[in-house]
Amino acid sequence: MTETLLSVRDLKVSYRVGRGSLDAVDGVSFDVPRGSILGLVGESGCGKTTVARALTRVMADNAFISGGSMLFDGRDLAALSERDMNALRWREIAFIPQSAMNSLDPVYTVEYQLNEVLRLRGGMGRTEARKRCEELFEMVGIEAGRLRDYPHQFSGGMRQRVAIALALALNPKLVIADEPVTALDVIVQRQILDQLRDLQRQLGLSVILVTHDISVVAYICDRTVVMYAGRVAEQGTMEATLTQPSHPYSMGLRNAFPDLQGAASGVLTPIEGAPPSLADPPPGCRFAPRCPFSIEVCASVTPPQVEVEPGHFAACHRAGEAPLLRERARHVSTWMAEA
Amino acid sequence: MSHLKAAASRTLQLVLVLWAVVTILFLMFRLMPGNPLAAYIDPTFTVEQQEALMAQFGLDRPLWEQYFIYLGNLVQGELGQSFRYREPVAERILALLPNTLVLTFSSLIVAYAFGILAGAYLAWRRGSAAEQVAIPLVLTTRAMPEFWLGMVLLAVFSFWLGWFPAGGTRSAGAEYESLLDLYTSGEFLTYLALPALTLAIYSQGLPLLLMRSNMLDVMKEDFVTMARIKGLSNWTVVVRHAARNALLPVMTSFAIAVGYQLQGNVVVESVFSWPGLGRELVNAVSASDYPLAQGAFLMIAVVVILMNLIADLLYTLLDPRVGHA
Amino acid sequence: MREVAATRRSPGLLARLFGALKLPLNDPFAVSGLLIYAIFLVTAVFADQIAPYDPTEILYTPEYDLAADLRPGEQGHLLGTTSLGRDVFSQIVHGTRSALLIGVTAAFMVALIGSIVGLVAGYFGGWVDAVLMRLADIAFGIPFLPFVIVLAAFLEPSIWNVVLAMALVLWRDTGRVIRSQVLTLRSRGYVDAARVSGSSDLKIILRHIAPNILPLSFLYGSIAIGWAILTEASISFLGFGDPQSISWGYMLQDAFASQALAKQAYYWFVPPGICIILVVSAGFFITRGYENLLFPKLGK
Repeated sequence: MTETLLSVRDLKVSYRVGRGSLDAVDGVSFDVPRGSILGLVGESGCGKTTVARALTRVMADNAFISGGSMLFDGRDLAALSERDMNALRWREIAFIPQSAMNSLDPVYTVEYQLNEVLRLRGGMGRTEARKRCEELFEMVGIEAGRLRDYPHQFSGGMRQRVAIALALALNPKLVIADEPVTALDVIVQRQILDQLRDLQRQLGLSVILVTHDISVVAYICDRTVVMYAGRVAEQGTMEATLTQPSHPYSMGLRNAFPDLQGAASGVLTPIEGAPPSLADPPPGCRFAPRCPFSIEVCASVTPPQVEVEPGHFAACHRAGEAPLLRERARHVSTWMAEA
Repeated sequence: MSHLKAAASRTLQLVLVLWAVVTILFLMFRLMPGNPLAAYIDPTFTVEQQEALMAQFGLDRPLWEQYFIYLGNLVQGELGQSFRYREPVAERILALLPNTLVLTFSSLIVAYAFGILAGAYLAWRRGSAAEQVAIPLVLTTRAMPEFWLGMVLLAVFSFWLGWFPAGGTRSAGAEYESLLDLYTSGEFLTYLALPALTLAIYSQGLPLLLMRSNMLDVMKEDFVTMARIKGLSNWTVVVRHAARNALLPVMTSFAIAVGYQLQGNVVVESVFSWPGLGRELVNAVSASDYPLAQGAFLMIAVVVILMNLIADLLYTLLDPRVGHA
Repeated sequence: MREVAATRRSPGLLARLFGALKLPLNDPFAVSGLLIYAIFLVTAVFADQIAPYDPTEILYTPEYDLAADLRPGEQGHLLGTTSLGRDVFSQIVHGTRSALLIGVTAAFMVALIGSIVGLVAGYFGGWVDAVLMRLADIAFGIPFLPFVIVLAAFLEPSIWNVVLAMALVLWRDTGRVIRSQVLTLRSRGYVDAARVSGSSDLKIILRHIAPNILPLSFLYGSIAIGWAILTEASISFLGFGDPQSISWGYMLQDAFASQALAKQAYYWFVPPGICIILVVSAGFFITRGYENLLFPKLGK
């Protein structure tokens, strides 16, 4: 059993638009080590959800994988036939959606929906399934009596727990969580994240946590991949990426979010401007137009992934000067000047 | 508990509407131009009969007194005497009601079964050539007068091909012990076929378009996508999840459709000489048999109002989200 | 500054009216629908010129026999003659007049009454709303066609019976839909803003709400044209129509009563039926075209 469960290389996902196509994901590479939580973070539109959905191979009608590979336990998910891919779904790769309210069928009880997965996908008999349902509910902290309830009878946080229970039903190897706590209030967010981390440790799961909230990443992730405009800006261990960001975008992100644990982290400074349109992306580095540290080469040459320390990469021409740029990034005036 | 409350308030609504329709009917027949007594008294009745009727319906009393007598009579099921047939209207109406209901329900069931399946199929095959042809075709079926369609079907299947009889519910001279005997006899189906088909063709448009529209909406829902991510089979996703959710509004529309269908019945019954309430209403009005006309209209209205109530209740029953705290 | 809080000002009533009359020219079916309407309109206007004979005129052959039951093509009658000796084609042509007349008038009444009821109920709410909606419930409880038939018992046979009946009963669908639309509009900021700045209710209704519901009114109006024509056909078929006005429904009744089926005289009832189907379908297609224009469903 290798250390790496999932290895994504140069993944490209495109959308058919009109007569042409648009690359929502343009050459993304990262590894998910077995038994770890990887945070896939970036603003809306950066392509993180597209990557997550590409891993399940259930995408929008006009979306398609246009390049790269996704090696899951040695098998390339991008190349598998639909039949083989379907065999993997939920049994080895599960998904926790953003809004459990909308992802649970309103006309069936929660028990029915759990059983559906356990019996139709897991081949379990009636009694075995029933036992497993109770087990799952216990794992996520909901009393078994509520199995007979309908989705709308649960509160937001509880519904998310149901979604987690569903995802874990068949003991998958990889769980992809797409903004699992975004729709919840802060206190409940923390509870759910704690739950998720405990379960992950308990069961030895590998988790990809997709979020736009960097404080969520800081709270439970082991590794971080920062995406921007369809590409990977930076990736590394969580500590390294957040305490020593080596890409100007990550440096800016850190300034823009309050710490989850409430510790004062300085003035909130948003990054001025907006991400580029992916229909007509700028040449070279996509962050260059908004970057306070951009130099001439940034606008013409796509920056390579520079290994600033073992396992920590940043796609920046000036990655070598990271410590200096980090210092300058701390000051509000650096970001204001970019307006 | 709120289920009961909802049911109670809706039943109240039903009573209100019923009362209003009954009152409108009363006013229409009493205030019509000409002899106000003509609504109940046929000039060919004997003097004794006329006096008896005057007393029974209080026709010499002031209008508001007549109204209460009228309501009282109604509650007791007293609808007067038919001019033409010299028998109680209530009896005649009740005897005809089953024929109309059989026609209505059989045609609607066929229409809905077809419409739901075809609608789901068209949603499934979005953007296909079948869809381009089917939708305008369906709209055309709603654009044709039902009686015209009946005439066309008669021309083709009865007069030309001779497969089906041209009208009525039974062959001439055939005797049946009871209505149930008639309905379960083999030949009844041949008589029912064309009128039911006529109504079904006209009515299938609504469930078809509704089901298709609902399916298209539901297929976009997150839980359908989730079902796919779970790796569930197409059947489970489309039928168990999408169709089940899309079906809800269609089922409630069935109840309301019964009410609308009854109107279509009126003309179809006339084309096929089907002895039902619709044809009776038409004949009664043509013959100025006012008590019978009133009775037939009332019976139809009662069914329509009842069906509206059932539609309301059905919705609260079938949707687990409604009725819970 | 009075309009400071208003987030959006609707364009004037007239401007919106003309905007709503935008023709859905991208939908081929809607275009054919408009074409059909145009053809029938022209036929109706120039009926006297187009029809070779007076529709009620009883015709005779050169041998002074009744020119009855002639097949299409015989003796110059494009669609033959009825059992009474009248020219079928002329009847079809003149039928367009009553069809369009009733259709448009009834549709206008339905749209007008329904819109006013919906507007008032939705805007003022409270007991006004409650009363109007109870009226709508009652209207829903009245079976429409039977009602028209019963009316025919008292009133003189006339094509306007249908219009009257529709005006009394069929405003119900339009009323409910317009009302919910008004409720949605009311909850938007600019209505409250206008109120706060002192606009009268009437002004608010005319300025902000009416223009936004007008497209919906047109939509329901155009569907009602179809209902009206179908209802008139049914009423005439049942014998309650006006024998003086040769409508398509009357032709169908005449055909049925003259044993068209037994005589296999298809030319008596198929043409009027086709005409009805064409006009009503045209209405549906145009409505669909408008619907896609006004409420576009993404990716439809």
